[in-house]
Amino acid sequence: MIIIFYLFSFLLLAFALGTVLSKNLVHSALLMIGSFFAVAGLYILLQAEFLAMVQILVYVGAIAVLVVFGVMLTRKGSVKDSNLPNRYKKVGALSAVIFFALLVRSIINTSFPAPSSPVVGANTIIQIAQTLLTQYAVAFEALGVLLLVAIIGAIIIGKETK
Amino acid sequence: MSLLSYIILTPFIGAAMLVLIPEKQTTFIKLVSALFAFIGLALSFYLFLNYDKSLGGMQFVENIPWIKAFAINYKLGADGLSVSMALLTGIIWFAGVLVTWNLQERVKEFFIYMLILVGGVFGVFLSLDLLVLFIFLEIAVIPKFILIHIWGSGKKEYSAMKYTLYLLAGSAFSLIALILIYIHSSTLDVTQLALITYSVPFQKFIFFLLLIGFGVIVPLWPLHRWTPDGHSSAPTAISMLLAGVIMKLGGYALIRVGIGVFPAGAAFWAPLIAVIAVVNCIYIALVAMVQKDLKYVVANSSISHMGYVLIGIAAMNTISLTGAASQMFAHGIMAALFFALVGAIYNKTHTRMLADFGGLAFQMPRAATLFLITGLASLGLPGFFNFVAEFLIFAGAFKVYPVLTTVTILAVVITAIYVLRVVQQMFFGPRNPKWDSLTDLKGIELVPLVFLAVILLWFGLVPSSITNLINQGIDPIVAQIGGAL
Amino acid sequence: MILSWPTIILEISSLGIGLLLLILGLVFTSLKSKATLGYFSIIALLLMLVGSFYLPSGATQTFINNFYVQDSLALFFKQLFIVSALLVNTMALRYMKPHTNNRGDFFALTFFALTGMMMMASAAEFITLYIGLELMTFTFVLLTAYKKHDLKSGEAGLKYILLSAVSSGVLLYGFSLLYGLTGALDFSSLVALFAPTSSPLLVWAIVMVLAGLGFKIALVPFHMWTPDVYEGAPTPITAFLAVGSKAAGFVAFIRVFFQVFAVYSPIFMPLLIALTVLTLLIGNLIALAQTHLKRLLAYSSIAHAGYILLGVIAYSKLGLSAILFYLLLYMFANIGAFAAVAALVINTGQDKISDLAGLWKSSPFTSVVLLVSLLSLAGIPPTAGFIGKFYLFTELVSRGYLWLAFVAVGMSLVAIYYYLVVIRTFLSGSVAEKTSMTIPFSLKLVMLVSVVMTIGIGVFPGPFTDYLLKVAQAFLG
Repeated sequence: MIIIFYLFSFLLLAFALGTVLSKNLVHSALLMIGSFFAVAGLYILLQAEFLAMVQILVYVGAIAVLVVFGVMLTRKGSVKDSNLPNRYKKVGALSAVIFFALLVRSIINTSFPAPSSPVVGANTIIQIAQTLLTQYAVAFEALGVLLLVAIIGAIIIGKETK
Repeated sequence: MSLLSYIILTPFIGAAMLVLIPEKQTTFIKLVSALFAFIGLALSFYLFLNYDKSLGGMQFVENIPWIKAFAINYKLGADGLSVSMALLTGIIWFAGVLVTWNLQERVKEFFIYMLILVGGVFGVFLSLDLLVLFIFLEIAVIPKFILIHIWGSGKKEYSAMKYTLYLLAGSAFSLIALILIYIHSSTLDVTQLALITYSVPFQKFIFFLLLIGFGVIVPLWPLHRWTPDGHSSAPTAISMLLAGVIMKLGGYALIRVGIGVFPAGAAFWAPLIAVIAVVNCIYIALVAMVQKDLKYVVANSSISHMGYVLIGIAAMNTISLTGAASQMFAHGIMAALFFALVGAIYNKTHTRMLADFGGLAFQMPRAATLFLITGLASLGLPGFFNFVAEFLIFAGAFKVYPVLTTVTILAVVITAIYVLRVVQQMFFGPRNPKWDSLTDLKGIELVPLVFLAVILLWFGLVPSSITNLINQGIDPIVAQIGGAL
Repeated sequence: MILSWPTIILEISSLGIGLLLLILGLVFTSLKSKATLGYFSIIALLLMLVGSFYLPSGATQTFINNFYVQDSLALFFKQLFIVSALLVNTMALRYMKPHTNNRGDFFALTFFALTGMMMMASAAEFITLYIGLELMTFTFVLLTAYKKHDLKSGEAGLKYILLSAVSSGVLLYGFSLLYGLTGALDFSSLVALFAPTSSPLLVWAIVMVLAGLGFKIALVPFHMWTPDVYEGAPTPITAFLAVGSKAAGFVAFIRVFFQVFAVYSPIFMPLLIALTVLTLLIGNLIALAQTHLKRLLAYSSIAHAGYILLGVIAYSKLGLSAILFYLLLYMFANIGAFAAVAALVINTGQDKISDLAGLWKSSPFTSVVLLVSLLSLAGIPPTAGFIGKFYLFTELVSRGYLWLAFVAVGMSLVAIYYYLVVIRTFLSGSVAEKTSMTIPFSLKLVMLVSVVMTIGIGVFPGPFTDYLLKVAQAFLG
């Protein structure tokens, strides 16, 4: 189990780094898909199969495809060097490393409560649905509105006006 | 609603009325302002007459809960000190409106701001709650900024900003003091505060904050830097109010709050005040001596004269404090008269440089006479109220600070030198044909000047009518000092 | 399961009206009938405001499972949001006309933002709080970029969404750490689970939550977006951002730091004090250098976040009620100032401070409004700003932070200087070529309301302080 966890984590980090560092926007998008898969793998390790499914379905099946669409349809000419460079690469890397080191130190020094052992084979879909539609009913409804706002926004910004 | 509320409200109502008048009807606006100024003067004079001297203490007290959560009340009351200061405000306000009779530019706004300013000043003199007092003090600041900035002369932008920042910086200190007092005693009612006993270190700290806060207004050397610029740049009526009343707010608040509530703190800092008072008197008088601009002479002389008030405050006994308050009254009238005269002469000659004048007595004998009268009052000649006030101060202070007081008396000599020099340079000497076209002061120009001069002479001849009154206000405060020491 | 509908009725009506506005915008075909949508939104907000006073305000009510609460604090903030939306929509009636073609979506979006703010006021669980915050932020991004042909507006929108995304990431990271440490995300469970001793990771969680919420209230060093977004957004939206969004950030801040993290106040307080001092210094000092009124007001709003945080530092009932009082007066003062900016922009298309010269002549009414609003922001009596600052500073000093009060008062003095620079510009200046300004009636109404309230609260603060003290007492028990 532990080995698989580290394997997925390593893949996730590698893909994420690749996404950020690649100069070609299409490559970045493809690497991002890889990182989505790795996250899905972590979910399966946590016995959240449904979440893993949704992760692949939504992020890989929809969002990543949309990103690729966006890149291919809006860019004219070569996609080489299409990922914009960043002046603060070194500073960013340094601060990220420091932040990471501090966090790791804190995590090592913290005792976590024992995780409640999940029921093997329990139907997580029902649990998720119940949680979303009872305790999180308000947040769930609001998320619907948030999506509506996003659609309106896309129309407002995208639509040509005289 | 008592008489005091009416006095405070009069200028505010006047300002509200002026808002409704179309700005083109300048004469009507001036008439309405004069009417309200007259009502204000009449009400404050009525207060002066109706204050029961045999009773003494706080009268016409009015107490309405204002912010219940903080136990802050809209509390007004008048004792001898407040009554005399309110009368002073009424007199100078009325004279100020008359002096401004020839204003052409943005008349409506000018009088609105002036009325708000006067309302704030009345509020300070008549309120008995520290927060209310502070609020009125602040209300008086911003209109002043606008008045100097728009209607002023010379480097008015600079002066207006300097004045405002100095005063508000002072307020910052008094605000902190206010908050500390409030936290200590959970009330800001001055009469109740006086009954509470405070630890001596607390008194020292609070009085120090108040000394800076109110000292800026007095003004206390070295916090006086706003004064010469502010006075000189302000339009005439506003200089009159500035020198005549605003500076007195500081002295009044120091006596009422500083000494009245924190006598031990005052006693601790009194020697410092006395030393500063000497600097104020002597150093600033010397500064006044070398000025080339007439208005700067008068402005510096105001600071120098407030030095007498300070040494009176520092001596902290009945006679000296009565003298200090009387000096505030006397100097208020005298300074207003001085600025009114300077303004009137400037309106004719369009210069304030001493070197430009000379022999004006030939062309303007009335102005010369009035100027001489004011000058003599300024140097404390017997017969004027100023003499009485200064005599009381020196008599009271000599017992406490014999050396410093003796040095201060030197300032009278310096005052005499620069006042007489100015009179000589401006009015005497050979006739200057350049000024032959000038007409002497007449009509409406003369009214406020004569009005102020008569008041100065009247109280000089019958000083007891006002010194007794002031004395009644001072007595409880001195009793407070006696209790503390 | 019992659902307590009064808890959530305001959110539902706000949402419903927003949706209705969208539909009406499509149903009404003529431009003229679409113009009524703005008025419709105003009437609806008025009805909501009136209705909100009939809601039960005494005891705390929950919608489901303690995740969503309606207490007097939430109700006060919801009313505050409704009033600000009301004033903003009225301000926008004419201002947004060239940009909306009378479509209903602008007004619908303000309602969605309002819904998000209300959720933030009532959320008692971190996920719900986060969704409300995102709903509000996302809507604001759209509203900010609404003038899409204006480069600055688009830039502001882009900046806002990018920086918001970063801050949301930090906030969510903080939440996830909290969940990992305790296994709960709702406030009441967290309060029960938190032990007085802390682990290093918990400190990180608190710092991240502080950073995420600090972004919304423009706390230094998370304030970078404020000037650009405020400048680029359409003026009514800037006002809404400065007032509504900030207040929403504060209500979340209050709930989280007064309630959830109460045990850990010794841990976060030094950090909060340091950031507050920084906010006061940077907000006020950089404001000195501004030449545009909207940017100046942006920096002043940063500085005001610092003043309001003084109440959090005081950490008491009175401190809390001082915060609420200050937010109230801050709303009216800021709306007044932005309405004056809107009047200026409508007439000149500029908001440079030097363009204000001669305003006293071209529009005396606007200049009075601006004068009173700026004086209130500066804290000069008799405006409400003075009482607000006095209240905050008093509570601060009584908790032993005398030095902090000196810093705050000193910075107020700096603030007074830059407000006075603006004041003296519009009160003087040549007027030869200036013609009188035309100001729409709706804008005049907004200005009138804000001025009357600014002076009204300053002269009669009693009822407001009494009420807000009750609110604070009910919240802190």
